[in-house]
Amino acid sequence: MSSFTEKFYQDFIEDDRWKFILNGLKITLIVTAFALIIGVAIGVVVGIIRCAHDQQSGKELTGIKKTALNILNALCHIYLTVIRGTPALVQLLIMYFVILVSAKSKVMVAVLTFGINSGAYVAEIIRGGIMSIDRGQMEAGRSLGLSYVQTMTKIILPQAFKASLPALVNELITLLKETSICGYIGLNELTRGGDIIRGTTFDALLPLLGVAVVYLAIVHLISYMFSFVERRLRKSDRH
Amino acid sequence: MIGIRDLKKNFGDNEILRGISYDIEKGEKIAVIGPSGSGKSTFLRCINLLETPTSGQIFFKGEEITSPDVDVNRIRSHMGMVFQHFNLFNNLTIMDNITLAPVTLKLQTAEEAKENALSLLERVNLTDKADAYPSQLSGGQKQRIAIVRSLAMNPEVMLFDEPTSALDPEMVGEVLEVIRELAESGMTLVIVTHEMGFAREVANKVLFVDEGIIKEENDPLSFFNDPKDDRLKEFLSKVL
Ligand SMILES: Nc1ncnc2c1ncn2[C@@H]1O[C@H](COP(=O)(O)OP(=O)(O)O)[C@@H](O)[C@H]1O
Ligand SMILES: [Mg+2]
Repeated sequence: MSSFTEKFYQDFIEDDRWKFILNGLKITLIVTAFALIIGVAIGVVVGIIRCAHDQQSGKELTGIKKTALNILNALCHIYLTVIRGTPALVQLLIMYFVILVSAKSKVMVAVLTFGINSGAYVAEIIRGGIMSIDRGQMEAGRSLGLSYVQTMTKIILPQAFKASLPALVNELITLLKETSICGYIGLNELTRGGDIIRGTTFDALLPLLGVAVVYLAIVHLISYMFSFVERRLRKSDRH
Repeated sequence: MIGIRDLKKNFGDNEILRGISYDIEKGEKIAVIGPSGSGKSTFLRCINLLETPTSGQIFFKGEEITSPDVDVNRIRSHMGMVFQHFNLFNNLTIMDNITLAPVTLKLQTAEEAKENALSLLERVNLTDKADAYPSQLSGGQKQRIAIVRSLAMNPEVMLFDEPTSALDPEMVGEVLEVIRELAESGMTLVIVTHEMGFAREVANKVLFVDEGIIKEENDPLSFFNDPKDDRLKEFLSKVL
């Protein structure tokens, strides 16, 4: 027992080593938050383009607009295939060592990589959400004279978002945990923080356990918060 | 008011509408009947261009709306449509369901739209549901709201696609009553229905759509009492 307190003291208290965990957590949260924003932005746009293409092909669109939509859809398809077909770590390394070699900020590289990566998964989630909405909703909007875009933004997307929320939260949790690979480009995020302590004190158990507990707590907090949001959103489903 | 010329609609290789021509005058009440799958809904949905006709022309107040450069949204804003499954916007309150289109399309200010909605709600006795969500309403109430939502756009014609087919029997009456009042107010309407009694009473013309064409059209009295087409006779003997 005394060796436990000793190790605990060495790992976290001595030389303020807990700061590696705390600062790492900060970086992890920053990368996750901004990547999420970028991911949702990309995902919504790509998801809508894919749906618009499926729903509108052969319908009222003609000429240049139809061609534009086809090209956009093809680009989205390539994006989804590449991002979902390769490991996030490989994407991160390519981004850091090839595309953004001159970038000063590792945080920015990580944010961009994970934003672009997450966008692909969010896109498919949003697409699934949109397709789960009864097509009568779109028809009712259109029959009133609303445009496709107006009906989409006011009727379909709010419902699609609500339907996708559990999957989106899942994606957020995955994203948070996946940022742990940022250590590969030398970014001192949470996992690496624990690893630095391990490298200094040569104790593996406590630092890594500490890191795991912090991840678990954050994930738990996210789940808890969104279960709250979901309950509030369900008010229009009351019977 | 609406002119339909040799309207055809294919879904893939399936010819659903095989040449329909018909004129609807202002103030007319047209009932469309026919067996399931005969193309009644497709016919109605072509009129407001929810389906794009394969060939043929449709005119609305003299303008050819099947021409490629027509603004379909503008045309649709003059035609109300009521669906079998109501299709109320699930994410909006009843009030917002009614005011969304007129306000978004800048035809009314938010205040005007709200006032208008309240008087329409009064007409169907549902003022107390203004802040409810669709999921809190019965089928009959939903359909009355769906009618009101269309009326809020001040349409010149109302299209009804089996408005009572998805309702429990005890709710059919309240919806038909609203449509009847609408007809009496002079609204032009086209209604696809299986309610033969209602068609007989309210319509001034009844159409029998079968195998993608209008097999018979007549005033309700002759249509029901003296049908000529064999398929219509057979159909009527089954449903009456
Ligand atoms: N979007 C569609 N794609 C393919 N087939 C369709 C579509 N809509 C309707 N149909 C087919 O067209 C036929 C007529 O349908 P419909 O107009 O709904 O008939 P009704 O309303 O008279 O019952 C049916 O056989 C139906 O399966
Ligand atoms: Mg039908």
